[in-house]
Amino acid sequence: MQLKKTFFTALLLFIAGIVSWEYYCLEQGYIAALNDDLAIWAVQRSKLENMSQQDVVILGSSRAHFDIQLDQWEAKTGIRPVMLACDGSTPTPIFQDIVNNTDFNGTIVIGVTPGLFFSAPVEQVPMWKRPKIRVDHYYERTWAQRINHLISVPLENTFAFLNSSEEEWADDIDLKSMIKRMYNDDRLNESMPPFYNFSYIDIDRNTTMLDKTVNDTAFAATIQKVWMYFGKNAPPPVKEPIINIYKDMLAKYNSRGGNVIFLRLPSSGGFRQGENMGLPRDQFWEQLLAETNTPGYHFEDYKVLNQYDPPEWSHLATPDAKIFTTDLVSILLNDKAIPNLQ
Amino acid sequence: MLFNSLSFIVFLVIVLGLYYSKIFNWTSKKTMLLLSSYVFYALWNPPLILLLWVSTLVDWKAGNALYKLTDQRKRKLWLLLSMVVNLGFLAFFKYGGFLLENFTIMMNLAGFNYHPAIPDIILPMGISFYTFQTMSYTIDMYYKRTPPAKSFLDFALFVTFFPQLVAGPIVRSSELIPQFYEPKKATTRKFLWGTFLLTLGLFEKVVMADVVLSSTSDAVFGSEKVLNIIDAWSGTLAFSGQIFFDFAGYSTCAIGIALMLGIKLPDNFRYPYAAIGFTDLWKRWHISLSAWLRDYLYIPLGGNRRGITRTYISLMLTMLLGGLWHGAAWTFVFWGMLHGLYLIVERYLRSHIKIKINAWNGFLLALLTYTFVNISWVFFRAGDFQSAINILSSMFFINPEGEKILSSLDIIKVLIVIGSLFLTHWFMRNTSVKCVARKIPWWLFSIFWAIMLILLVIAQGSSEQFIYFQF
Repeated sequence: MQLKKTFFTALLLFIAGIVSWEYYCLEQGYIAALNDDLAIWAVQRSKLENMSQQDVVILGSSRAHFDIQLDQWEAKTGIRPVMLACDGSTPTPIFQDIVNNTDFNGTIVIGVTPGLFFSAPVEQVPMWKRPKIRVDHYYERTWAQRINHLISVPLENTFAFLNSSEEEWADDIDLKSMIKRMYNDDRLNESMPPFYNFSYIDIDRNTTMLDKTVNDTAFAATIQKVWMYFGKNAPPPVKEPIINIYKDMLAKYNSRGGNVIFLRLPSSGGFRQGENMGLPRDQFWEQLLAETNTPGYHFEDYKVLNQYDPPEWSHLATPDAKIFTTDLVSILLNDKAIPNLQ
Repeated sequence: MLFNSLSFIVFLVIVLGLYYSKIFNWTSKKTMLLLSSYVFYALWNPPLILLLWVSTLVDWKAGNALYKLTDQRKRKLWLLLSMVVNLGFLAFFKYGGFLLENFTIMMNLAGFNYHPAIPDIILPMGISFYTFQTMSYTIDMYYKRTPPAKSFLDFALFVTFFPQLVAGPIVRSSELIPQFYEPKKATTRKFLWGTFLLTLGLFEKVVMADVVLSSTSDAVFGSEKVLNIIDAWSGTLAFSGQIFFDFAGYSTCAIGIALMLGIKLPDNFRYPYAAIGFTDLWKRWHISLSAWLRDYLYIPLGGNRRGITRTYISLMLTMLLGGLWHGAAWTFVFWGMLHGLYLIVERYLRSHIKIKINAWNGFLLALLTYTFVNISWVFFRAGDFQSAINILSSMFFINPEGEKILSSLDIIKVLIVIGSLFLTHWFMRNTSVKCVARKIPWWLFSIFWAIMLILLVIAQGSSEQFIYFQF
């Protein structure tokens, strides 16, 4: 056995293989970007432990994640919010965690995507399970996991092929996802259309929508199909129990000087139609604000916020999101609803 | 810390750098290895390192006393102290919740309305492995089978040596401690072979267990539905592959890493799915545990020296406790009982029917053994008896209208991988990776090695924990 020769040849082949794979991925349009995983969320969550009443936290689902741009918020107020919004989920378990397990008493902006926000408060429901897993991970993460994350950040920022995601996008290029796509059949009669990744994040979890979502209408249409699928298969909304949870939590949070603002972010097309039919504004949004006695900002009430057409009906294109955030913050500052250090 | 994580790669590079630097003498290198092993463990949960320290101190003191003392009563007391501390840790941390749960059931059955608070006890990683390893030391001292370690450093390193600390192989003091007496340095060949074994182990764990098989097995065993026969078999077969690749992968990594340091660890797996019968299986699967159970439980219980009935009782007790060692649940005990039963039936059949094993009937008997192993895996993997019974019912045609939850790809994938695994075990049953590596051309070996490395990187594993860490 000529082990030295074997090893160095294997090493050369390995390097050649990985370089070729990286080149192929770049050619296919993949970019080097961070994964929006448990670890990066936990790092943001840990910031709450040392934050003051001047600070701002963003909760919500992907709309809050896409539509609120941290640089623009910081430019207007001098405060960089902490982004804890989780895609495809309700903000409630995270809000409960902040209220019950921290001393934070700053401003919490809660994005309300009605279909997700008014979902059954049961851990098995995916929109509750996702944020709960993140909260649990924050408390249970080991030092080894923290170090893994630290090492993975520069690697993910360097190599396009490192793009596996907890979302399990239909175009992920980790080995498991590629094997999954090798053969499709109708044994299970699965009808969910393929769901492709359409964004990336930075180290603060600030989201940028991929250009192809804006420029390629066929690509945007694939995402619209997914929203339609989710809409058709959505469970019935749960209103009173959710509002009651917020009543209790808000009483507790406000009593220690905390400030909460609800935010209804833009949607359009089939998504908006579905929301208007299934979760009408007066019966859900208005009732939430009234019963919790909490300020809320609905995009329909402000001309500057109601001028956008999200490319895939649910999230603003990043250039629009930047203007939207600037306008939104101006409105909030004008109402003295959020702190301003400038 | 997990072998299949980025932090471990950095950790290993630093340890190897320090180990092979010229700034340390041998004692300093051993101290560095010991401290590194504590860091390796503490990066998971720092406070639980105290248990390791207590176990190390108690067994060091007890071992020395047992070897030196002649007063039999005092010697028994020292042995008892070691057993109480080690088994006490196991009883509290691993079996505390299970014992309380069963006690509660019994109290309620007896008519008492007893509902205690459920304790939230963390299971220290690898506790079953290191307690068994230290216990073997004190028991060996009691029987004066081996001399005590020459220094506390050597003993502490034996208990804590990071490659095998959390999931074995469970090493005997006579196998490891003498290796610490003289300076150890891997030759280039040994170092590279260790690197290959580390690659192979990681490939087994990350690619085969986590990427290829885990989702199928998780889907089937996580389903609350009554399943179709094909789905039930696919999930069970997938688990049989997953647990083999996961655990053998860990052992291969451990052996490889130790070899990179110039330390030799014993084999823990020898192509177990090619076993012909269950006696053969337990000489091939988790060898270090089965040897431990044989030497410290089965033989002291009487082994096969006290008649056939006593042999069967010893076998059954050993396997029941072996099952319980794996986890605090009755399903694990039942898994152990099944294996006890398999061993008893096999022993009975062997004494009454003589078969000359050749390649053909050997293959069929191996397949039969593997089928029975799969039946036992259902109890090992299922969360409770009802789930296990549901899956077994589906496997044996009792639920003809069961639901389909796996795609055709899942099923084809499992058939190809498990078929290949079984055949590989069969053809490798009397040889080793090293022998095969010697026979094939070097360039083919290079390609094989490079493919494993590339797939490991493309897999982008999310550092899934090894299954055996929970035991």
